[in-house]
Amino acid sequence: MSGGANKMAKEKKLPLENLLVIAANIIMFAIVYFMLSASEMVSLIIIAAVIVGLLLADKQGYINWLFALFIRHKKVAFISAMLCIIALPLLLATERYIAHIACMAVIYAMVCLGLNFQMGSTDMVNFAPAAFMGIGAYTMAVFTVNMGVSPWLGFLSAIVFSCIAGILIGLPTLRTKGYYLSLVTMALQLAFTQLIKNIPYLGGPNGISGVKSLNIGEFFFYKSYTVFGVKLAPQIPLLFLCLFILVLMVYIAMRVYVSRWGLSLNNIAQDEVAADCLGVNCNRQKLFAFVIGSIFCGIGGALYGGLASFVGPTDFTFARSLIFICMVILGGMDNPIGTVVGALLLTVIMEKVRSFADYGQIIYAVILVTVLIVRPAGLVPKRVRDYCSLFKGKLQRSGKKNEAAAKTE
Amino acid sequence: MTKMLEINKLYTSYGRIPMLMDISMDIDEGEVCCVLGANGAGKTTLVKAILNMVKADSGGMKLAGEPIDDWPTHKRIEQGISLSAAAVGTFQKMSVETNLKMGAFFIDDAKLLSERLEEIYRSFPVLRERLQQKAGTLSGGERTMLAIARSVINKPRLLILDEPSLGLAPIMVEEVFEIIKRLRDEKMTILLVEQNAAKALNVATRGYVIQKGAIVFSGDAEQLRGSEFVENPVM
Repeated sequence: MSGGANKMAKEKKLPLENLLVIAANIIMFAIVYFMLSASEMVSLIIIAAVIVGLLLADKQGYINWLFALFIRHKKVAFISAMLCIIALPLLLATERYIAHIACMAVIYAMVCLGLNFQMGSTDMVNFAPAAFMGIGAYTMAVFTVNMGVSPWLGFLSAIVFSCIAGILIGLPTLRTKGYYLSLVTMALQLAFTQLIKNIPYLGGPNGISGVKSLNIGEFFFYKSYTVFGVKLAPQIPLLFLCLFILVLMVYIAMRVYVSRWGLSLNNIAQDEVAADCLGVNCNRQKLFAFVIGSIFCGIGGALYGGLASFVGPTDFTFARSLIFICMVILGGMDNPIGTVVGALLLTVIMEKVRSFADYGQIIYAVILVTVLIVRPAGLVPKRVRDYCSLFKGKLQRSGKKNEAAAKTE
Repeated sequence: MTKMLEINKLYTSYGRIPMLMDISMDIDEGEVCCVLGANGAGKTTLVKAILNMVKADSGGMKLAGEPIDDWPTHKRIEQGISLSAAAVGTFQKMSVETNLKMGAFFIDDAKLLSERLEEIYRSFPVLRERLQQKAGTLSGGERTMLAIARSVINKPRLLILDEPSLGLAPIMVEEVFEIIKRLRDEKMTILLVEQNAAKALNVATRGYVIQKGAIVFSGDAEQLRGSEFVENPVM
């Protein structure tokens, strides 16, 4: 009670900090917007300026200060960020290519969130997120093209199939630990690509084209609509859908993080023997991390199929898996927000350096290394683990109830 | 006196190497029973077998009269067996408070949990001062305290202490055994596995001596103190 009142008083005392948080959010989104929409040279200059700025700001300690500010004003930060997220697709309304990149970034963020359960929380480095994404995408493709049923059925079966794949692959692989687990998933990823290439029903190396996107009645999520006389890019409705699903996933990921299940995942990461000795069902929890991760990847894949309207083996290669791992490491492991930030940044950078052909890889690497020097634990690093805060809320509530009971007595 | 744990003709092996042979023992409710033995005698294997972290080849186990052979590790812990061992670390990157609460993983009632925590802080005042510190920054003695506190917060029916004095300064060893005495006076059933026979026999009422995977001697503390197996340091 008194804590809440104090907080209120503080917030009233410091509207300046609130404004700062909102301003920081707007500036960040403005940077993202300009990075997305500007031409390659300009956006690379922006990226370079941002990195130099980050280096200088980090030396002066401004970055940590800013993060502390965000954590202190969580609500304001969250609401202003949501408004910016909604505004972003509207600003991109007429730009086809850029709306496409934005969609890709959001879908990659979903896959990274899934990977984060395994890599960040449980410390099982899974080298096959692209394979799980591929399972989702191919399910969508087979259902809408080969079988010609409703895309929603395809979408649901993508979830079901990636879940089944997670269980089937998880059960035997989770008997291995550490490097061996990584090796097994690596082999799985390579096998997946080869398998897809050699099954004629799945289009072989040519893939499957003409994948349908989701629709509600006559409203298609991948179609150009004219609103108020402005012809929107066809990706805009899908972008909204993807953003909605992403926010939902971030919410799920955060709830898992603060729950007892999330806690036990962290315990397994830190000391599996100790977790076992305290009564954590290690096998079940690891399988849970694997399955929920692969479901997130599968959903990302299904949406990807609808966006690109084409799925092929080259989209789900080992290199793509490595990029997902880079995104999680760069953004910050075991932190849903960090993971999403990492995914968004790397996708944009990847697209922007594309026009430099071979030199693009060098620029990409320089950016990656610089960011990791500035913040070795990722952009938004892992927090110190607290006991499940869901439970803490319960504790406080029961404490209050006791107080109230004492008063009435 | 009811028997808290009964082990009947337990055999285990690592691959083709037999580790425990024909181990039969029982622990009464409310007593401190010690298992003594040299390095490699199979003490820790016995502990692991009790928790099903090592599969038993044959033999039966009963917890308070109930057969537990089919229970996986987490169920045995949920049903009241608790382990504190040198090999079981603390969660180094988590705060002391989180570590303590992890011991009470199965307590759902928030009120009960806070009561238990208060009790723990009373008996382990060192920990109260360190609540927000990461467990990795504690000293070795404090870490042992934390490990013991974490294993008793759940009020286990059977507490297994595997070498609690391992790697501690003599003064800390004294303190650890003081705690074990206090737990004994609270009528907690304890299985104490130790190399330090003299210290263990000070707190234990009864004991077993393990040599090369088999029980070679058993009796109450007095008998053990006089036996050749304990007197001979090489064993």
